Amino acid sequence: MNFARPDALFLFLPLAAVIIALYLLRMKRREMQVPATFLWPTHTEEVRANALFQKLKPSWLLFLQLLALAVTVGCIARPQLVQRGLTGEITVLVLDSSASMGATDVSPSRFEEAKRLAKAAIESARPGDRIAMVEAGPVPRVVFSLSSDPVRQLAELQPLTVSDAETDAGEAMRLASAIVAGTEGARIVLLSDGVFERIDDFSQGNASVVFQSVGKSGENLAIEAFGSSESQKGRLLFASVRNFGDKVATTNLTILADGKVVDSSQLQIPSQQSQSRTIAVPAGATLFETRIDAKDALAADNYSALSADPAASLQVLKIGGEDPFLDRALALDPRVTLDRADRLPLDGGSSYDIVVFDGVASEPTTSRGVLILGKAGTGSPVRITGTAARPKFNGASSSEILKGVDLDGVYFEEIEVAQPIGSAEVLARSAAGPLIIADTKPNQRVVYTAFSPLESDFPLQIGFPIFVSNLLDFLGGEAGEGPLVVPVGRAFSLPANAPSASLKVPTGGEVQLKPNGGAVTIREAKRVGTYEFRSGNAVRKVIAVLQSPRESALAPEREIALARKPVKSTDAPLRFADFWQPLILLGLLILGAEWWLYARRS
Amino acid sequence: MDLLLPPRTFRMLEGLRISPRKSQPGRVRGERLTRRAGLSIEFADYRDYAEGDDLRHLDWNVLARLDSPVMRTYRDEEDLAVHLLLDDSPSMAFGEPTKLLIARHLAAALGYIALSNGDALYPVRLGRREPPLSALRGRSSFGRFASWLGRDVADDAPTSLSSSLRAFANSRARAGVAIVLSDGLDPDAAASIRALVGRGHEVWLVQILSDLDLEPDIEGDLRLTDGEGGAPTDITANSIALRKYRDNLHEHNEGLADSAKRGGGRYAIFETSRPLDRFIQDTLKREGWLS
Repeated sequence: MNFARPDALFLFLPLAAVIIALYLLRMKRREMQVPATFLWPTHTEEVRANALFQKLKPSWLLFLQLLALAVTVGCIARPQLVQRGLTGEITVLVLDSSASMGATDVSPSRFEEAKRLAKAAIESARPGDRIAMVEAGPVPRVVFSLSSDPVRQLAELQPLTVSDAETDAGEAMRLASAIVAGTEGARIVLLSDGVFERIDDFSQGNASVVFQSVGKSGENLAIEAFGSSESQKGRLLFASVRNFGDKVATTNLTILADGKVVDSSQLQIPSQQSQSRTIAVPAGATLFETRIDAKDALAADNYSALSADPAASLQVLKIGGEDPFLDRALALDPRVTLDRADRLPLDGGSSYDIVVFDGVASEPTTSRGVLILGKAGTGSPVRITGTAARPKFNGASSSEILKGVDLDGVYFEEIEVAQPIGSAEVLARSAAGPLIIADTKPNQRVVYTAFSPLESDFPLQIGFPIFVSNLLDFLGGEAGEGPLVVPVGRAFSLPANAPSASLKVPTGGEVQLKPNGGAVTIREAKRVGTYEFRSGNAVRKVIAVLQSPRESALAPEREIALARKPVKSTDAPLRFADFWQPLILLGLLILGAEWWLYARRS
Repeated sequence: MDLLLPPRTFRMLEGLRISPRKSQPGRVRGERLTRRAGLSIEFADYRDYAEGDDLRHLDWNVLARLDSPVMRTYRDEEDLAVHLLLDDSPSMAFGEPTKLLIARHLAAALGYIALSNGDALYPVRLGRREPPLSALRGRSSFGRFASWLGRDVADDAPTSLSSSLRAFANSRARAGVAIVLSDGLDPDAAASIRALVGRGHEVWLVQILSDLDLEPDIEGDLRLTDGEGGAPTDITANSIALRKYRDNLHEHNEGLADSAKRGGGRYAIFETSRPLDRFIQDTLKREGWLS
């Protein structure tokens, strides 16, 4: 037994003193003459008092009134019983649906076990307890908001499925914290295996955090890398398999080119080690796949794929400041794998297809594409003569880069006044000078914008992501119509010129998509496998793969860190359940007894 | 005070007489047969002739047949002393109509019966200090009796019922039927009745009680003051107190009845709401108080 407001118990003494004082008051009786008094009982019960003092006599009424007062004060002090259970009065369940939760080391899977725990928590919640749920998937979302409707909550919980993607657990926890922000005594319950990136940016506010770890074993084999490179001998494929378990594991690694097996080898991999295989692959193949036949806990990371089209996969390095609009537009392109850095690597960015200088002076690079945003440096195709403030768009030439993009009316705070040099070509200009300049060299393509996107309202225009997509096509080389390989769970966009589009998912269903502005954003590729995208007559194969060492390292965590504070896994945390309802009933019974006694004696 | 009984009641009283359970020694010749030999026409027994006997009572038939003188004896006739003890203590002033008024009506009826049958009627007022009245005899004395009955006696220091009864018991009143008309609401009333019985009186106790005595309609927290001048009592008039009161009253009445009947007396409760005619017919006549 515990009291949420123990200070309220001190109310008992003054209130009891008032009641006792009323009993100390002497009763002023109505006088009445009768023939004889000797027949009347001499023992009297004083039930009221309205005059000054008398000696306190033992009284059942006084006892019952003090008892009722004690119960009432007890209710005000909010007595609580200590119970074990996941839920409290206000609870946000955070359900991890990332790839690692699909592990089958607990039957049927970690995710189903977490769902079972969530279901048990909802069913065991006391009437009036409010519960919300957040799904910690690739894009965290609120499954149901705070409510005390277990039927609806269970109905919302039932259709949830695990994804094969990484999770943004930090965002999910921040979302949960926001749901109960400012609420006293709330509880955030994380049902997860703890296999996610460390969460540093998190404030739990007044809420308590309970972490219940799901999972038993970390035994897992995964394809940790699958790539290709051009050599003098032709195209080489590189596949690496890692054993994340504690025992030596043996598996067969199979590599396929356009669906035909081109290599198969048995690998014996020590614990926590990797083994790789490099083979030369035949020319002309468009799709390479690899798989291992390990009967491990997680199947999603036993397969990977690679498109032979060099433009089908773009390694982009962004150097410079934080531009969320540009980051989002880049991330929407399924070909892009984005890295960020403060400065150019020593190899000059040769391992990247495209280098983006965002607000920092450009430097010479060896990548095949360079994007310079707002600040020309060495290696840029322009010469800077000054700056101009708030120039107006003055016209654009017809080019693939500006296809579907309208700069008319875009506000530019400040631009560099640049002169193209060499073979550079002005694509768009303002009254003060060129706005966009492109240069095509034999081994490199460069695009320069005289403005920084963040110093304009261009990122707010509908044409901005189209502009970025066109830039990627220009700088990386336009991708063919071959299979597209995307990281599982990541949203991406594809051109869609028809009014409708659809996506056939690996499980057999079909999702209808609505194109917007000649493109459609796809968020449904949450499971590893081959998808078929249709828009009009165009059909394109999309393969979602999981290559995430973080998700493949299945060993469940028994302790996680939230904002650098350790949170240990608890199987059945303690909760304080309010106990005032039975006390109210008891108080009413006491008052009823007191009334009955008073009526009987009055 | 209107003490005249209605003519219908007087007609009903005609022919009735006080019917004591035992005979009492008379003081003057009257209309009550005694166990003593006397001069009435009621034959009692035979006895041998003794010198000096009145020859008028010699049974000549027996003398002629047996040649032996035998005297016929007869029962004597004397008057009956009827002490009518009227409780005029303050507690009799309660009720609507008051218990005292009912007691006076009943006293008038019983006094009329006694006077009509030649009994010696001794009216005594209890609870008041009043000089005793000499015996009343004959129907012609009813007016005097009624006058005594209707008189209100002012007394600054009324005595209690038990004190008055004890004073009467200790007086030289001749033994007879002592008819006590009282509410009996005195804690020592039963003992006083027993003292009365001990003096040879045949006690007839008519306990006159009003609704206020039998079913008091009171509630709440009260300070009860005693009509007899006793100490006030604080009570909470709830169902428990009322039940306890009724139990106490029943027990008290049982004690009174037991005391009255101990010496061959009689006991009855007369509720003030009950008509006098019904009480005389259904209780006094039916139970043999009056014959």
